Amino acid sequence: MLGARNIHRHFEGMHAVDGVSIEIMPGRITGLIGPNGAGKSTFMAVLAGTLPASSGTIVFQGQDITRLPAYQRARRGLVRTFQLPSEFGQLTVLENLLVAAPDNRGESLLGALLGKRYWMPDEMRLVEQARGLLKRFGMSAKESDYAASLSGGQKRLVEIMRALMLRPRLLLLDEPMSGVHPSIVNEIAGYLEQLRDDGLTLLMVEHELHMVERLCDPVVVMAEGKVIGRGSMAALRQEREVVDAYLVG
Amino acid sequence: MNTYYAANLLIFAGVDIIACLALNLQFGVSGVVNFSFIVFQAAGAYAAAVLSMPPDTAPDYSFQIYVGGYQLPFPLPWIGGAIAGGLLALPIGLVVLRRLRADYQAIALLVTSIIANTVINNARPVLNGAAGLVLVPQPLDGVINTNTNSYQYLYIGLTAICVAIVWFVAARIVNSPYGRTLRAMRENELAASALGKNPTALKMAIFVVGGAIAGLSGAILVGFLQVWAPSTWLYPETIILFAAVIVGGRGNNVGAILGALLVPLGFEEVTRLLGRMNIGPPTLIPALEWVCIGLLILGFLWFRPKGVVPEQRRVFPGAPAVEDETRWVVGKRAR
Repeated sequence: MLGARNIHRHFEGMHAVDGVSIEIMPGRITGLIGPNGAGKSTFMAVLAGTLPASSGTIVFQGQDITRLPAYQRARRGLVRTFQLPSEFGQLTVLENLLVAAPDNRGESLLGALLGKRYWMPDEMRLVEQARGLLKRFGMSAKESDYAASLSGGQKRLVEIMRALMLRPRLLLLDEPMSGVHPSIVNEIAGYLEQLRDDGLTLLMVEHELHMVERLCDPVVVMAEGKVIGRGSMAALRQEREVVDAYLVG
Repeated sequence: MNTYYAANLLIFAGVDIIACLALNLQFGVSGVVNFSFIVFQAAGAYAAAVLSMPPDTAPDYSFQIYVGGYQLPFPLPWIGGAIAGGLLALPIGLVVLRRLRADYQAIALLVTSIIANTVINNARPVLNGAAGLVLVPQPLDGVINTNTNSYQYLYIGLTAICVAIVWFVAARIVNSPYGRTLRAMRENELAASALGKNPTALKMAIFVVGGAIAGLSGAILVGFLQVWAPSTWLYPETIILFAAVIVGGRGNNVGAILGALLVPLGFEEVTRLLGRMNIGPPTLIPALEWVCIGLLILGFLWFRPKGVVPEQRRVFPGAPAVEDETRWVVGKRAR
Protein backbone atom coordinates (compact mmCIF):
# COMPACT_ATOMS: atom_id res chain seq x y z
CA MET A 1 0.00 0.00 0.00
CA LEU A 2 2.65 2.54 1.08
CA GLY A 3 6.40 2.21 1.33
CA ALA A 4 8.63 4.87 2.84
CA ARG A 5 12.37 4.43 2.33
CA ASN A 6 15.07 6.10 4.40
CA ILE A 7 13.03 9.22 5.23
CA HIS A 8 14.91 12.12 6.79
CA ARG A 9 13.50 15.39 8.01
CA HIS A 10 15.82 17.98 9.49
CA PHE A 11 14.95 21.25 11.23
CA GLU A 12 18.04 23.47 11.17
CA GLY A 13 20.38 20.67 12.17
CA MET A 14 17.92 18.81 14.40
CA HIS A 15 17.11 15.37 13.01
CA ALA A 16 13.41 14.96 13.77
CA VAL A 17 13.16 11.94 11.45
CA ASP A 18 16.40 10.14 10.85
CA GLY A 19 16.34 7.43 8.20
CA VAL A 20 12.94 5.88 8.85
CA SER A 21 11.70 3.11 6.55
CA ILE A 22 8.27 1.62 6.88
CA GLU A 23 5.96 -0.65 4.90
CA ILE A 24 2.22 -0.33 5.42
CA MET A 25 0.21 -3.42 4.54
CA PRO A 26 -3.34 -3.06 3.20
CA GLY A 27 -6.38 -3.81 5.35
CA ARG A 28 -4.59 -3.37 8.68
CA ILE A 29 -4.18 -0.74 11.34
CA THR A 30 -0.46 -0.10 11.72
CA GLY A 31 0.45 1.52 15.02
CA LEU A 32 3.19 4.09 15.41
CA ILE A 33 4.26 4.61 19.00
CA GLY A 34 7.15 6.18 20.86
CA PRO A 35 7.98 8.74 23.54
CA ASN A 36 7.27 12.44 23.08
CA GLY A 37 9.73 13.97 20.62
CA ALA A 38 10.34 10.63 18.87
CA GLY A 39 9.39 12.17 15.50
CA LYS A 40 6.12 10.27 15.00
CA SER A 41 3.97 13.27 14.08
CA THR A 42 6.73 14.74 11.90
CA PHE A 43 7.01 11.41 10.08
CA MET A 44 3.26 11.33 9.59
CA ALA A 45 3.31 14.90 8.25
CA VAL A 46 6.04 13.90 5.81
CA LEU A 47 3.98 10.91 4.63
CA ALA A 48 0.93 13.15 4.11
CA GLY A 49 2.97 15.89 2.41
CA THR A 50 2.11 18.62 4.91
CA LEU A 51 5.88 18.71 5.56
CA PRO A 52 8.38 17.97 2.78
CA ALA A 53 10.97 15.27 3.39
CA SER A 54 14.61 16.39 3.52
CA SER A 55 15.47 13.15 1.75
CA GLY A 56 14.06 9.68 1.14
CA THR A 57 11.37 8.18 -1.06
CA ILE A 58 7.65 7.56 -0.54
CA VAL A 59 5.83 5.18 -2.85
CA PHE A 60 2.03 4.97 -2.60
CA GLN A 61 0.17 2.35 -4.60
CA GLY A 62 3.14 1.89 -6.89
CA GLN A 63 3.71 5.59 -7.60
CA ASP A 64 6.46 7.82 -6.26
CA ILE A 65 4.67 10.62 -4.41
CA THR A 66 7.70 12.08 -2.62
CA ARG A 67 7.51 15.43 -4.43
CA LEU A 68 3.73 15.74 -4.50
CA PRO A 69 2.10 18.43 -2.34
CA ALA A 70 -0.37 17.42 0.37
CA TYR A 71 -3.48 18.23 -1.64
CA GLN A 72 -2.43 15.96 -4.52
CA ARG A 73 -1.65 13.10 -2.12
CA ALA A 74 -5.09 13.55 -0.55
CA ARG A 75 -6.71 13.37 -3.99
CA ARG A 76 -4.94 10.03 -4.52
CA GLY A 77 -6.42 8.67 -1.30
CA LEU A 78 -3.69 9.39 1.26
CA VAL A 79 -5.55 11.39 3.88
CA ARG A 80 -4.47 12.50 7.34
CA THR A 81 -5.97 13.89 10.52
CA PHE A 82 -4.10 16.12 12.93
CA GLN A 83 -2.75 15.82 16.46
CA LEU A 84 -4.52 19.04 17.47
CA PRO A 85 -8.17 19.48 16.54
CA SER A 86 -8.27 20.99 13.06
CA GLU A 87 -11.99 21.39 12.46
CA PHE A 88 -13.28 24.26 10.36
CA GLY A 89 -14.73 26.01 13.38
CA GLN A 90 -17.16 28.44 11.75
CA LEU A 91 -18.56 25.78 9.43
CA THR A 92 -21.26 23.41 10.60
CA VAL A 93 -20.51 19.74 11.16
CA LEU A 94 -22.24 18.83 7.90
CA GLU A 95 -20.33 21.51 6.03
CA ASN A 96 -17.07 20.16 7.46
CA LEU A 97 -17.87 16.85 5.82
CA LEU A 98 -19.06 18.39 2.55
CA VAL A 99 -15.84 20.37 2.15
CA ALA A 100 -13.93 17.11 1.89
CA ALA A 101 -16.16 15.59 -0.81
CA PRO A 102 -14.09 15.46 -3.99
CA ASP A 103 -16.67 15.35 -6.77
CA ASN A 104 -18.97 18.36 -6.49
CA ARG A 105 -19.46 20.40 -9.66
CA GLY A 106 -19.90 23.53 -7.56
CA GLU A 107 -16.37 23.21 -6.19
CA SER A 108 -14.85 25.26 -9.03
CA LEU A 109 -15.16 28.99 -9.61
CA LEU A 110 -16.90 28.41 -12.93
CA GLY A 111 -19.24 25.86 -11.37
CA ALA A 112 -20.12 28.32 -8.62
CA LEU A 113 -20.90 31.06 -11.15
CA LEU A 114 -23.13 28.72 -13.14
CA GLY A 115 -25.45 28.55 -10.16
CA LYS A 116 -27.42 26.15 -8.04
CA ARG A 117 -29.09 24.34 -10.90
CA TYR A 118 -25.67 23.25 -12.06
CA TRP A 119 -24.34 21.93 -8.75
CA MET A 120 -27.35 21.25 -6.53
CA PRO A 121 -27.82 17.60 -7.66
CA ASP A 122 -24.22 16.84 -6.63
CA GLU A 123 -24.72 18.76 -3.41
CA MET A 124 -27.83 16.83 -2.42
CA ARG A 125 -26.17 13.49 -3.23
CA LEU A 126 -23.20 14.43 -1.04
CA VAL A 127 -25.47 15.67 1.75
CA GLU A 128 -27.08 12.23 1.81
CA GLN A 129 -23.65 10.59 1.84
CA ALA A 130 -22.50 12.85 4.68
CA ARG A 131 -25.70 12.20 6.64
CA GLY A 132 -25.04 8.49 6.28
CA LEU A 133 -21.67 8.99 7.94
CA LEU A 134 -23.15 11.19 10.65
CA LYS A 135 -25.68 8.48 11.41
CA ARG A 136 -23.02 5.78 11.48
CA PHE A 137 -20.93 7.82 13.94
CA GLY A 138 -23.91 8.85 16.04
CA MET A 139 -23.57 12.54 15.24
CA SER A 140 -26.80 13.21 13.31
CA ALA A 141 -28.17 15.54 15.98
CA LYS A 142 -25.08 17.73 15.66
CA GLU A 143 -25.38 18.22 11.91
CA SER A 144 -26.04 21.94 12.03
CA ASP A 145 -23.85 22.79 15.01
CA TYR A 146 -20.76 24.86 14.44
CA ALA A 147 -17.76 22.55 14.62
CA ALA A 148 -16.06 24.96 17.04
CA SER A 149 -18.81 24.28 19.60
CA LEU A 150 -18.18 20.50 19.77
CA SER A 151 -16.38 18.62 22.53
CA GLY A 152 -12.87 17.28 21.96
CA GLY A 153 -14.12 13.77 21.23
CA GLN A 154 -16.78 15.00 18.83
CA LYS A 155 -14.18 17.05 16.97
CA ARG A 156 -12.09 13.89 16.57
CA LEU A 157 -15.08 12.10 15.10
CA VAL A 158 -15.73 15.00 12.71
CA GLU A 159 -12.14 14.79 11.54
CA ILE A 160 -12.42 11.06 10.91
CA MET A 161 -15.76 11.44 9.11
CA ARG A 162 -14.36 14.32 7.08
CA ALA A 163 -11.44 12.18 6.00
CA LEU A 164 -13.81 9.35 5.09
CA MET A 165 -15.78 11.66 2.77
CA LEU A 166 -12.67 11.65 0.59
CA ARG A 167 -12.97 7.86 0.27
CA PRO A 168 -9.35 7.37 1.39
CA ARG A 169 -7.26 4.31 0.64
CA LEU A 170 -4.90 4.99 3.52
CA LEU A 171 -5.96 7.02 6.52
CA LEU A 172 -3.26 8.53 8.73
CA LEU A 173 -4.54 9.24 12.24
CA ASP A 174 -2.43 11.39 14.52
CA GLU A 175 -3.39 10.61 18.14
CA PRO A 176 -7.14 10.21 17.52
CA MET A 177 -7.76 9.50 21.22
CA SER A 178 -5.78 12.51 22.47
CA GLY A 179 -7.76 14.81 24.76
CA VAL A 180 -10.83 12.63 24.44
CA HIS A 181 -13.04 11.60 27.37
CA PRO A 182 -12.46 7.91 28.26
CA SER A 183 -16.07 7.06 27.43
CA ILE A 184 -15.53 8.28 23.86
CA VAL A 185 -12.17 6.49 23.49
CA ASN A 186 -13.87 3.09 23.34
CA GLU A 187 -16.41 4.47 20.90
CA ILE A 188 -13.68 5.77 18.58
CA ALA A 189 -11.83 2.45 18.85
CA GLY A 190 -15.00 0.62 17.82
CA TYR A 191 -15.39 2.86 14.77
CA LEU A 192 -11.77 2.28 13.76
CA GLU A 193 -12.25 -1.48 14.02
CA GLN A 194 -15.32 -1.21 11.79
CA LEU A 195 -13.35 0.80 9.22
CA ARG A 196 -10.56 -1.80 9.26
CA ASP A 197 -13.11 -4.59 8.84
CA ASP A 198 -14.55 -2.66 5.88
CA GLY A 199 -11.11 -2.92 4.24
CA LEU A 200 -9.66 0.53 4.98
CA THR A 201 -5.93 0.72 5.73
CA LEU A 202 -4.89 2.92 8.66
CA LEU A 203 -1.68 4.20 10.20
CA MET A 204 -2.23 5.47 13.72
CA VAL A 205 0.04 7.42 16.04
CA GLU A 206 -1.21 6.81 19.58
CA HIS A 207 -0.08 6.98 23.20
CA GLU A 208 -2.93 4.91 24.67
CA LEU A 209 -1.06 1.59 24.63
CA HIS A 210 -4.04 -0.55 25.56
CA MET A 211 -5.80 0.83 22.51
CA VAL A 212 -2.73 0.21 20.36
CA GLU A 213 -2.70 -3.38 21.62
CA ARG A 214 -6.38 -3.76 20.83
CA LEU A 215 -6.34 -2.20 17.38
CA CYS A 216 -2.90 -2.29 15.81
CA ASP A 217 -0.89 -5.02 14.18
CA PRO A 218 1.88 -4.45 13.38
CA VAL A 219 3.22 -1.75 15.66
CA VAL A 220 6.27 0.37 14.84
CA VAL A 221 8.24 1.98 17.68
CA MET A 222 10.17 5.21 17.15
CA ALA A 223 12.64 6.96 19.42
CA GLU A 224 14.88 9.94 18.64
CA GLY A 225 13.80 9.95 15.01
CA LYS A 226 14.62 6.31 14.33
CA VAL A 227 12.67 3.05 14.23
CA ILE A 228 13.81 0.92 17.17
CA GLY A 229 11.35 -1.95 16.88
CA ARG A 230 8.43 -3.39 14.96
CA GLY A 231 6.07 -6.32 15.32
CA SER A 232 3.03 -7.19 17.38
CA MET A 233 2.57 -5.39 20.69
CA ALA A 234 3.10 -8.66 22.55
CA ALA A 235 6.40 -9.26 20.77
CA LEU A 236 7.54 -5.68 21.35
CA ARG A 237 7.05 -6.09 25.09
CA GLN A 238 9.81 -8.69 24.96
CA GLU A 239 12.32 -6.39 23.24
CA ARG A 240 14.66 -4.84 25.78
CA GLU A 241 15.49 -1.70 23.76
CA VAL A 242 11.82 -0.92 23.20
CA VAL A 243 10.94 -1.50 26.82
CA ASP A 244 13.80 0.71 28.00
CA ALA A 245 13.07 3.49 25.54
CA TYR A 246 9.34 3.68 25.86
CA LEU A 247 7.26 1.06 27.53
CA VAL A 248 8.57 1.72 31.03
CA GLY A 249 10.05 5.17 30.30
CA MET B 1 -30.45 68.22 -0.97
CA ASN B 2 -29.43 69.13 -4.52
CA THR B 3 -29.17 66.58 -7.32
CA TYR B 4 -25.39 66.70 -7.51
CA TYR B 5 -25.01 65.98 -3.79
CA ALA B 6 -27.50 63.11 -3.97
CA ALA B 7 -25.77 61.70 -7.03
CA ASN B 8 -22.44 62.08 -5.28
CA LEU B 9 -23.69 60.13 -2.26
CA LEU B 10 -25.33 57.37 -4.28
CA ILE B 11 -22.42 56.87 -6.65
CA PHE B 12 -19.93 56.80 -3.78
CA ALA B 13 -22.22 54.33 -2.02
CA GLY B 14 -22.24 52.13 -5.13
CA VAL B 15 -18.47 52.28 -5.50
CA ASP B 16 -17.94 51.50 -1.81
CA ILE B 17 -20.43 48.62 -1.93
CA ILE B 18 -18.65 47.12 -4.94
CA ALA B 19 -15.27 47.52 -3.25
CA CYS B 20 -16.49 46.03 0.04
CA LEU B 21 -18.07 43.05 -1.73
CA ALA B 22 -14.72 42.39 -3.40
CA LEU B 23 -12.74 42.78 -0.18
CA ASN B 24 -15.24 40.55 1.60
CA LEU B 25 -14.62 37.82 -0.96
CA GLN B 26 -10.89 38.06 -0.32
CA PHE B 27 -10.69 38.84 3.38
CA GLY B 28 -14.07 37.93 4.83
CA VAL B 29 -14.68 34.68 2.97
CA SER B 30 -11.20 33.48 2.04
CA GLY B 31 -9.02 34.95 4.79
CA VAL B 32 -6.66 36.73 2.39
CA VAL B 33 -5.63 39.93 4.18
CA ASN B 34 -5.23 42.10 1.10
CA PHE B 35 -3.72 45.29 2.45
CA SER B 36 -3.01 46.40 -1.12
CA PHE B 37 -6.68 46.36 -2.14
CA ILE B 38 -6.70 50.05 -3.04
CA VAL B 39 -3.95 49.43 -5.63
CA PHE B 40 -6.38 47.30 -7.67
CA GLN B 41 -9.03 50.01 -7.50
CA ALA B 42 -6.39 52.49 -8.64
CA ALA B 43 -5.31 50.21 -11.48
CA GLY B 44 -8.89 50.08 -12.70
CA ALA B 45 -9.25 53.83 -12.43
CA TYR B 46 -6.03 54.56 -14.32
CA ALA B 47 -6.85 51.96 -16.97
CA ALA B 48 -10.35 53.36 -17.51
CA ALA B 49 -8.90 56.88 -17.65
CA VAL B 50 -6.23 56.21 -20.28
CA LEU B 51 -8.63 54.07 -22.30
CA SER B 52 -11.19 56.88 -22.48
CA MET B 53 -8.87 59.91 -22.73
CA PRO B 54 -7.40 61.15 -26.01
CA PRO B 55 -3.62 60.91 -26.50
CA ASP B 56 -1.60 63.31 -24.37
CA THR B 57 -0.67 65.19 -27.55
CA ALA B 58 -4.29 66.34 -28.01
CA PRO B 59 -4.68 70.14 -27.63
CA ASP B 60 -6.56 70.19 -24.33
CA TYR B 61 -4.51 67.37 -22.80
CA SER B 62 -0.95 68.31 -23.69
CA PHE B 63 -0.19 69.59 -20.17
CA GLN B 64 -0.29 65.98 -18.96
CA ILE B 65 1.93 63.02 -19.76
CA TYR B 66 0.51 59.51 -19.79
CA VAL B 67 0.61 56.23 -21.64
CA GLY B 68 -2.30 55.19 -23.82
CA GLY B 69 -5.01 57.65 -24.74
CA TYR B 70 -7.23 55.45 -26.85
CA GLN B 71 -10.56 57.30 -26.66
CA LEU B 72 -12.49 54.04 -26.47
CA PRO B 73 -16.28 54.34 -26.24
CA PHE B 74 -18.23 53.39 -23.13
CA PRO B 75 -18.41 50.69 -21.68
CA LEU B 76 -14.98 49.56 -22.89
CA PRO B 77 -13.05 51.75 -20.39
CA TRP B 78 -15.01 50.21 -17.48
CA ILE B 79 -14.46 46.70 -18.82
CA GLY B 80 -10.79 47.59 -19.31
CA GLY B 81 -10.62 48.82 -15.72
CA ALA B 82 -11.93 45.50 -14.44
CA ILE B 83 -9.51 43.56 -16.66
CA ALA B 84 -6.61 45.72 -15.46
CA GLY B 85 -7.46 44.99 -11.81
CA GLY B 86 -7.66 41.27 -12.51
CA LEU B 87 -4.45 41.20 -14.55
CA LEU B 88 -2.53 43.11 -11.89
CA ALA B 89 -3.59 40.49 -9.35
CA LEU B 90 -1.75 37.79 -11.27
CA PRO B 91 1.88 38.92 -10.76
CA ILE B 92 1.25 40.24 -7.25
CA GLY B 93 -0.58 37.06 -6.26
CA LEU B 94 2.07 34.78 -7.77
CA VAL B 95 4.77 36.52 -5.75
CA VAL B 96 2.91 36.98 -2.47
CA LEU B 97 0.38 34.15 -2.15
CA ARG B 98 2.40 31.08 -3.09
CA ARG B 99 5.04 30.71 -0.42
CA LEU B 100 4.48 33.25 2.33
CA ARG B 101 2.57 32.52 5.53
CA ALA B 102 -0.69 34.46 5.96
CA ASP B 103 0.74 37.14 8.28
CA TYR B 104 3.71 37.75 5.99
CA GLN B 105 1.33 37.90 3.04
CA ALA B 106 -0.46 40.78 4.74
CA ILE B 107 2.81 42.62 5.34
CA ALA B 108 4.00 42.01 1.77
CA LEU B 109 0.71 43.32 0.39
CA LEU B 110 0.91 46.44 2.55
CA VAL B 111 4.43 47.08 1.29
CA THR B 112 3.22 46.48 -2.28
CA SER B 113 0.63 49.21 -1.80
CA ILE B 114 3.23 51.70 -0.56
CA ILE B 115 5.70 50.84 -3.32
CA ALA B 116 3.05 51.09 -6.06
CA ASN B 117 1.92 54.51 -4.85
CA THR B 118 5.48 55.76 -4.54
CA VAL B 119 6.41 54.57 -8.04
CA ILE B 120 3.36 56.11 -9.73
CA ASN B 121 3.84 59.29 -7.70
CA ASN B 122 7.40 59.71 -8.95
CA ALA B 123 7.30 58.23 -12.45
CA ARG B 124 5.63 61.14 -14.23
CA PRO B 125 5.90 59.82 -17.83
CA VAL B 126 3.67 56.85 -16.98
CA LEU B 127 0.54 58.40 -15.47
CA ASN B 128 1.48 62.05 -14.91
CA GLY B 129 3.03 61.44 -11.48
CA ALA B 130 1.81 63.24 -8.38
CA ALA B 131 -0.38 65.66 -10.35
CA GLY B 132 -2.40 62.72 -11.64
CA LEU B 133 -4.80 62.64 -14.53
CA VAL B 134 -7.48 65.27 -15.05
CA LEU B 135 -10.21 65.89 -17.63
CA VAL B 136 -11.02 62.19 -17.75
CA PRO B 137 -14.05 61.97 -20.07
CA GLN B 138 -17.27 60.79 -18.47
CA PRO B 139 -19.01 57.75 -19.96
CA LEU B 140 -20.96 58.64 -23.12
CA ASP B 141 -19.32 62.08 -23.19
CA GLY B 142 -19.89 63.44 -26.68
CA VAL B 143 -22.86 61.17 -27.22
CA ILE B 144 -25.15 62.84 -24.73
CA ASN B 145 -24.91 66.03 -22.68
CA THR B 146 -23.16 65.16 -19.43
CA ASN B 147 -23.97 68.47 -17.71
CA THR B 148 -27.57 67.69 -16.91
CA ASN B 149 -29.47 66.21 -13.99
CA SER B 150 -30.59 63.42 -16.30
CA TYR B 151 -26.97 62.41 -16.79
CA GLN B 152 -26.49 62.22 -13.01
CA TYR B 153 -29.45 59.84 -12.84
CA LEU B 154 -28.01 57.85 -15.73
CA TYR B 155 -24.69 57.54 -13.90
CA ILE B 156 -26.48 56.38 -10.78
CA GLY B 157 -28.29 53.80 -12.89
CA LEU B 158 -25.07 52.56 -14.50
CA THR B 159 -23.48 52.26 -11.06
CA ALA B 160 -26.53 50.40 -9.77
CA ILE B 161 -26.29 47.92 -12.66
CA CYS B 162 -22.64 47.28 -11.76
CA VAL B 163 -23.58 46.82 -8.08
CA ALA B 164 -26.22 44.28 -9.14
CA ILE B 165 -23.74 42.37 -11.34
CA VAL B 166 -21.11 42.29 -8.59
CA TRP B 167 -23.73 41.23 -6.01
CA PHE B 168 -24.79 38.43 -8.36
CA VAL B 169 -21.21 37.19 -8.75
CA ALA B 170 -20.40 37.52 -5.04
CA ALA B 171 -23.62 35.77 -3.98
CA ARG B 172 -23.03 32.86 -6.34
CA ILE B 173 -19.50 32.42 -5.02
CA VAL B 174 -20.30 32.80 -1.32
CA ASN B 175 -23.34 30.50 -1.34
CA SER B 176 -21.78 27.73 -3.42
CA PRO B 177 -19.64 24.70 -2.53
CA TYR B 178 -16.72 26.76 -3.86
CA GLY B 179 -17.47 29.46 -1.29
CA ARG B 180 -17.63 26.78 1.40
CA THR B 181 -14.16 25.61 0.41
CA LEU B 182 -12.90 29.19 0.59
CA ARG B 183 -14.34 29.49 4.10
CA ALA B 184 -12.71 26.19 5.07
CA MET B 185 -9.38 27.52 3.83
CA ARG B 186 -9.93 30.65 5.91
CA GLU B 187 -10.58 28.52 9.00
CA ASN B 188 -7.65 26.12 8.61
CA GLU B 189 -5.51 26.23 5.49
CA LEU B 190 -3.36 23.21 6.43
CA ALA B 191 -6.39 21.01 7.10
CA ALA B 192 -7.97 22.14 3.81
CA SER B 193 -4.84 21.17 1.88
CA ALA B 194 -4.83 17.78 3.64
CA LEU B 195 -8.35 17.28 2.25
CA GLY B 196 -7.28 17.76 -1.35
CA LYS B 197 -7.79 21.51 -1.67
CA ASN B 198 -5.09 23.58 -3.36
CA PRO B 199 -4.82 26.73 -1.23
CA THR B 200 -2.60 28.60 -3.67
CA ALA B 201 -5.02 28.06 -6.57
CA LEU B 202 -7.98 29.04 -4.40
CA LYS B 203 -6.28 32.22 -3.19
CA MET B 204 -5.08 33.15 -6.66
CA ALA B 205 -8.54 32.76 -8.14
CA ILE B 206 -10.22 34.90 -5.50
CA PHE B 207 -7.38 37.43 -5.67
CA VAL B 208 -7.97 37.84 -9.40
CA VAL B 209 -11.77 37.98 -9.06
CA GLY B 210 -11.49 40.52 -6.23
CA GLY B 211 -8.90 42.49 -8.19
CA ALA B 212 -11.19 42.69 -11.21
CA ILE B 213 -14.13 43.87 -9.09
CA ALA B 214 -11.89 46.43 -7.38
CA GLY B 215 -10.76 47.61 -10.81
CA LEU B 216 -14.37 48.07 -11.87
CA SER B 217 -15.03 50.18 -8.76
CA GLY B 218 -12.07 52.38 -9.67
CA ALA B 219 -13.32 52.76 -13.25
CA ILE B 220 -16.75 53.90 -12.02
CA LEU B 221 -15.15 56.34 -9.60
CA VAL B 222 -12.79 57.96 -12.12
CA GLY B 223 -15.59 58.35 -14.65
CA PHE B 224 -17.53 60.34 -12.09
CA LEU B 225 -14.70 62.32 -10.49
CA GLN B 226 -12.88 62.88 -13.82
CA VAL B 227 -9.58 63.09 -11.90
CA TRP B 228 -7.29 60.45 -10.43
CA ALA B 229 -3.98 60.94 -8.63
CA PRO B 230 -1.75 59.01 -6.18
CA SER B 231 -3.13 61.08 -3.30
CA THR B 232 -6.55 59.45 -3.81
CA TRP B 233 -5.31 55.91 -3.27
CA LEU B 234 -2.90 56.02 -0.36
CA TYR B 235 -2.71 52.78 1.62
CA PRO B 236 -4.90 54.02 4.52
CA GLU B 237 -7.85 53.97 2.11
CA THR B 238 -7.63 50.18 2.27
CA ILE B 239 -7.91 50.33 6.05
CA ILE B 240 -11.24 52.15 5.73
CA LEU B 241 -12.56 49.32 3.58
CA PHE B 242 -11.28 46.75 6.07
CA ALA B 243 -13.07 48.67 8.81
CA ALA B 244 -16.25 48.51 6.72
CA VAL B 245 -16.07 44.74 6.26
CA ILE B 246 -15.22 44.16 9.94
CA VAL B 247 -18.02 46.44 11.15
CA GLY B 248 -20.61 45.12 8.69
CA GLY B 249 -19.76 41.47 9.28
CA ARG B 250 -17.09 39.37 7.67
CA GLY B 251 -17.98 36.55 5.33
CA ASN B 252 -21.42 37.63 4.19
CA ASN B 253 -22.41 40.01 1.45
CA VAL B 254 -25.16 41.76 3.40
CA GLY B 255 -22.61 42.63 6.07
CA ALA B 256 -20.22 43.97 3.46
CA ILE B 257 -22.91 46.24 2.01
CA LEU B 258 -23.97 47.45 5.44
CA GLY B 259 -20.33 48.12 6.29
CA ALA B 260 -19.89 50.09 3.08
CA LEU B 261 -22.87 52.28 3.99
CA LEU B 262 -21.83 52.71 7.63
CA VAL B 263 -18.12 53.33 7.37
CA PRO B 264 -16.71 54.78 4.13
CA LEU B 265 -19.93 56.59 3.32
CA GLY B 266 -21.77 57.26 6.57
CA PHE B 267 -18.80 57.82 8.78
CA GLU B 268 -17.00 60.08 6.35
CA GLU B 269 -20.13 62.09 5.66
CA VAL B 270 -20.68 62.67 9.37
CA THR B 271 -17.11 63.77 9.94
CA ARG B 272 -17.23 65.94 6.81
CA LEU B 273 -20.28 67.73 8.14
CA LEU B 274 -18.56 68.14 11.51
CA GLY B 275 -15.67 69.75 9.67
CA ARG B 276 -18.01 72.48 8.49
CA MET B 277 -18.75 73.43 12.10
CA ASN B 278 -15.28 74.98 12.49
CA ILE B 279 -14.28 72.99 15.56
CA GLY B 280 -10.56 73.54 16.26
CA PRO B 281 -7.94 73.75 13.53
CA PRO B 282 -8.88 72.56 10.03
CA THR B 283 -6.78 69.39 10.33
CA LEU B 284 -8.43 68.30 13.60
CA ILE B 285 -11.53 66.58 12.19
CA PRO B 286 -9.69 64.61 9.44
CA ALA B 287 -7.11 63.50 12.04
CA LEU B 288 -9.84 62.49 14.48
CA GLU B 289 -11.51 60.59 11.67
CA TRP B 290 -8.50 58.29 11.42
CA VAL B 291 -8.43 57.88 15.19
CA CYS B 292 -12.11 56.93 15.11
CA ILE B 293 -11.57 54.43 12.26
CA GLY B 294 -8.85 52.76 14.34
CA LEU B 295 -11.02 52.71 17.44
CA LEU B 296 -13.92 51.37 15.42
CA ILE B 297 -11.84 48.43 14.18
CA LEU B 298 -10.47 47.72 17.66
CA GLY B 299 -13.87 48.07 19.27
CA PHE B 300 -15.56 45.66 16.89
CA LEU B 301 -12.74 43.13 17.00
CA TRP B 302 -12.92 43.22 20.80
CA PHE B 303 -16.64 43.44 21.51
CA ARG B 304 -18.35 42.16 18.37
CA PRO B 305 -15.83 40.38 16.16
CA LYS B 306 -18.52 38.97 13.89
CA GLY B 307 -19.76 42.47 13.01
CA VAL B 308 -23.26 43.93 12.90
CA VAL B 309 -24.54 41.15 10.61
CA PRO B 310 -22.70 37.93 11.50
CA GLU B 311 -21.97 35.29 8.90
CA GLN B 312 -25.02 33.04 8.59
CA ARG B 313 -25.11 29.42 9.60
CA ARG B 314 -25.82 27.16 6.63
CA VAL B 315 -28.57 24.70 7.42
CA PHE B 316 -29.61 22.09 4.88
CA PRO B 317 -33.21 21.02 4.26
CA GLY B 318 -34.19 18.14 6.50
CA ALA B 319 -31.66 19.01 9.21
CA PRO B 320 -32.55 18.67 12.90
CA ALA B 321 -33.82 21.94 14.37
CA VAL B 322 -31.21 24.28 15.80
CA GLU B 323 -31.76 27.09 18.24
CA ASP B 324 -30.27 29.87 16.24
CA GLU B 325 -30.46 33.60 15.71
CA THR B 326 -30.18 33.71 11.94
CA ARG B 327 -29.56 30.91 9.54
CA TRP B 328 -29.28 30.33 5.86
CA VAL B 329 -31.26 27.40 4.57
CA VAL B 330 -29.63 26.14 1.41
CA GLY B 331 -32.06 26.81 -1.42
CA LYS B 332 -34.11 29.38 0.50
CA ARG B 333 -33.80 31.91 3.26
CA ALA B 334 -35.31 31.39 6.67
CA ARG B 335 -35.46 32.85 10.13
